[in-house]
Formats: sequence, structure tokens, C-alpha cells
Amino acid sequence: MRITAIRGVLRRLASTKLTLLWMLLLAVGAALSYDNPVETSIWVLIVPMLLLAVNLIAAIISNPRINRRGGLLVFHLGLLSIVVLAAIGRLTHMEGRVEIISGAEFSSELVTDVNSGPLHTGALDEVKFVQGPFTVDYRPRMMRGLTHSQVALPDNEGGWREAVVGDDRPLLLEGYRFYTTFNKGFAPILSWTSNDGRVAETGAVHMPSYPLFDFKQSNSWTPQGGEEIKFWLQLETGLNAEEAWVLDGRRATATLVVNESDKRTELLPGQSVKMAGGTLRYEQLTTWMGYKLSYDPTLHWMFIAAFITISGLGAHFWRKLAAEPLGLDDALRHEKKPAKGSMPASRSVA
Amino acid sequence: MTELPWLYAGIAAYALAAVAALAGVMRLGAVVANAGVTCVSESQRNNERLVLSLMTASVILLVITLTDRWLRIGHGPFVNLFELLISQLFSLGLVYTIAYWRIPVLRTTSVVVLPLMGVLAVWVLALEPSDSVFPPTYHNPWLWAHVGFGKFFLAFCLIGTGLAGVILLRSYAFFQQLFRHLPDNVILDKLAWRFMLLALVFDSLMLTAGGVWAQDAWGRYWAWDALETSSFLNWLLLGASIHARTTYNVPIRLGAVLIISVFVFAFVTYFGTPFYSEAAHKGVI
Repeated sequence: MRITAIRGVLRRLASTKLTLLWMLLLAVGAALSYDNPVETSIWVLIVPMLLLAVNLIAAIISNPRINRRGGLLVFHLGLLSIVVLAAIGRLTHMEGRVEIISGAEFSSELVTDVNSGPLHTGALDEVKFVQGPFTVDYRPRMMRGLTHSQVALPDNEGGWREAVVGDDRPLLLEGYRFYTTFNKGFAPILSWTSNDGRVAETGAVHMPSYPLFDFKQSNSWTPQGGEEIKFWLQLETGLNAEEAWVLDGRRATATLVVNESDKRTELLPGQSVKMAGGTLRYEQLTTWMGYKLSYDPTLHWMFIAAFITISGLGAHFWRKLAAEPLGLDDALRHEKKPAKGSMPASRSVA
Repeated sequence: MTELPWLYAGIAAYALAAVAALAGVMRLGAVVANAGVTCVSESQRNNERLVLSLMTASVILLVITLTDRWLRIGHGPFVNLFELLISQLFSLGLVYTIAYWRIPVLRTTSVVVLPLMGVLAVWVLALEPSDSVFPPTYHNPWLWAHVGFGKFFLAFCLIGTGLAGVILLRSYAFFQQLFRHLPDNVILDKLAWRFMLLALVFDSLMLTAGGVWAQDAWGRYWAWDALETSSFLNWLLLGASIHARTTYNVPIRLGAVLIISVFVFAFVTYFGTPFYSEAAHKGVI
């Protein structure tokens, strides 16, 4: 009796009409999710996907047209696994951004704009690499080409090995993927020594993205115990918008222009200026690279699931089509058999 | 723009093929009405050979167009609408030409398919043949897989639409007479849905390959950008249509309308996206 009742419930949950209804609901959710508007809740996708998953599970269990056909069963199980993996992915994912100067080691504390799922348990603290120099190819009219970002990675013998990443070749470490972005620029390394000698501080100031903000290379720095220092960089990078060009921080030079009240001072690397409260020294020019970070432990599984799902679909169609002749031969029975090597004949008239 | 003469020649060949196909079907329809169905006439065979030759010539001319442009600007037809349309004219033409050659019952669908391709041809002629810049994230083999699967998807949808168009046109007395030599609608409907099944497989492959490419290129496999949203809706529509067709006794004409809807949606997804989105995929730039 109970089994009959369960079967009845399963049959209702597995209704093919419901499948169409939930698909329609999912279509509405997808349309509302276009461009990820902030006012649209993620639930417009989660609810129809859950309903479809329940419908799918019930159909897999109760519908012999699915569970007795290998290909169709694989296809439906595959769809279910994709939904489950997508859910796990959203719960465990992590995204963020990080800017690292050449010569500096990555630290998880540098990561900003973090967006992670509630179950994210990655090992970002264990990620280790040192940013090296990078180059970016530009075509005429400032069309960005390939990025080559050098990084040093720890080898297994206590040393470091070099690697080059960029564009669609992310740096893969501890499950995290680091993608170079268009966001990169210059960073002067500055030192500040207070007049009494008690404060000595060195820092790299990330200037605005280059060459995007070529015209706006200004920033400020407030050393400990000092006042805000405003400055801008007068860069020489070889940039010519009309010609192909390579952005390479190693070939660039820059004059640091420091503004203090009405006084303007130009500094080259190694030079310093005395200011109220201390001395500012322009140590050297370096670059910074902006990376986009992403972490999703389900990626490979998702690919495998998609592959198996499509294989199941293909196998099912193959068997189905082979088992059900179309009847074209009968339909075209009036045709003459074509001569060898000629076009197959169409049904036609004398 | 050394490729333009080849393009014009390719389009002219398509146009001639369309005219020849229409003339052939009209003549065939008239003969069937007068004499009834017996066997293949030599003149009909010649007409089909002419259409096939013109379509083959067009495909070859478009290959030359694409190769010339590729050599000149240094990258394949993946970026702006002008080159995407030429590329689609080539791939749709290639798949349809092979189908036309190998599956005789499809030949009459050329009166539906070739005018549809004419829309693409007229569109490409109306566009500025500007050069494009290859984005750095396009240097990825998955882009090829993504685009390749997409081309097969659209081509199978086009063939299904050709058959669906014939089914719907048969509702009118004039076309009923014209298409009398074709098998029953039940068989055309079955054949059309077989192409839609193939389309679903290739649509799924296209979405999967696109996801892998997007993950490598922009650090996410799905982000609901204009093209992704539209493609997913298209996949849902195709899946739901096949689901409805296999589960319920969908009337043949309604089935034909569904097939055409899927094709129209795919057409808008491929070629309409530039009208409501600056970049096909947001990460392109």
C-alpha cells in the first residue's frame, strides 16, 4: 500500500508537464539574470533548478522510458550531476582581485573584492609565488595584445622556478586560478625618514592603471607620522599610439614630481627631497600587475559531467535513430537507381 | 580589401543557386500536376546538378574570401559581425550542400533554405567591411571547438527549418501542388526532428566548449552575459521542444512552428546580440 502511494507521488513529481513548466520557469529566471542585475535574486535560478532536479530524480526512479534506456539514463543523471556540481561550486567558490608589484611575494592579505561561498575552505594562505616583470604587446591605436607575466614558483627542492602566465593561461596554485587583467601599471618605491630619525619607512605606491590612465599618473602617500605627500609620475615608456608598442617596465623611466605647497620638485631614482617633517627618497621605479583570482573545486568534475551527459544524449539518439528507420526508401520508391558515381536521385517525374 | 570580389562572386553563386532551385521546383510542381509521379527526368536531374554546382562554387568562393582576409589581417573570422556572417554563410552553405547532395528528399527545401541564407548575404553586403582586432583571450583552441560546434548546431537547425518550412507551406494550395512530389508530412516531420536532435547535441557541445574557453579566458565559465543568456534560453527552447515532441502527440504543424522558433531564436542569438550588447561576450575586451 505504502509502495503504491510512493509510486503515485513519484509519478506526479515526475510529470512531463511539470518538466515543461519548470523549464519555462528556469527560462524566466535566466532572462531575469541577464547581466547579473543586483536587484535580481539568485533564487530565480535556484528555485526552478531545484524543482527540475526533483522532477528529474522522480523521473529517473519511476519512468521506465528513462531508467531502462542506458543513454537517456546517463543523460538525465548527467544533467542532475551538473545541477549538483553548480550548486557545490557556488557554495565553495571564491573570487577576488590582487595587485602585486614586481619582486614582491603574493600574500592573501593583498586580496581585495573578495566574494566567496559560505563553504569556501581553500588554502589561499599556502599560495606562494613571486611576481616578476611583465610585458604587454600593443598594436597601433593602443589595441592590447598578449600579456606575458613572469612569476617565480617554489620548486620541490627549496628553490624557485620561472613560469610565464597571461591572458588565457592562468597561474594555477592550490586550486586557485590567477588571471592577468588589463589592470596593471607602475609603482614608485619611496622611502621616508623623519627628521628625528625615529621613523624610517619604505613603500611602493601603485599608480593608476597604465596606459589606460596615461594622462592621470598621480597619487599621494602618507608616511607614518608625516603629512600627505602628493606627487605624479612623468613616464617615458616609448608609448606611441599610432605604432605597435610593447609595455615593458624594465625599459621605462620616470621622474617623480613632488608637489609640496607651491614648491615643485622633480626626482630621479636615487634622489631625495627634504620636506616638512622628514626626507622623501625616490628609490626606484617598478611595476604592478593586477590579477583576477578564482577558485572553484568543481571545474574539472563539471567538464567531465558535461562530457558524459552529452555522450549519453548522443548514444541515445544514435540507438533511437538506428532502431527507427525513417521510411525514406518507401517514400522514394519510384526513383530510378542512380548510376554509380552520380548524384543520388531525388523523387521526380518523367 | 582584396577579399571583396571573392565575396561578391560567392554571394552571386548563392543567388543563382536559389533562382535555379526555385525554377526547378516550380517546373517539377507543374509537371507533377499534369503527369503524376513516375521517375526522375533528365532535366530535373540536370537542374539539381546545376543547383549543387552553384552551391559548391559558392562555398569554394567563400573559402577563398575567408582565406584571403585571414592572410591579410592575420586572424580568423571570429570577431566582428562582417566576418562572422561570411563565416556562417560558408559553414551553413557547406553543411547544406553536403546534405543536399547526400539526402535527395532535402533538395526541395532549397526553396526555403537558400532564401534564408540570402538574408545573411544581403546583410553582409550592407555592412562596412572593416578589419577587426583579435582580442588576446581569443588565442585559445577551445574557441575553435566552441565556434565549430556552434556552426553545426545552426546548420542542423537550418536544415530542420527548411523541412519545417516546406511542411507549413504545404498548408497553402499553391505550395501543396508544388511540393506534391515530396513524401508525406509525417516523414518530413520525422526527418526534421532528427536534425533538431543533432542540433541539440551540437548546441550542448557548443555550450560546454564555450564554458571551458570562458573559464580560461575570463576566469568564469558562465556569467549571464548577453550571448550566454540568449544561448541558454535557446538550448532550453530546443530541449523543451524535443521533450514535448517525444512526450506528447504534438501536431505536425505545431512541431514545424517550434522548429522554426528554435532557428529564429538561434539566428537572433548569433546575429542579433551585437544590437543589444557592445561585445558579444563581455570579457572580450
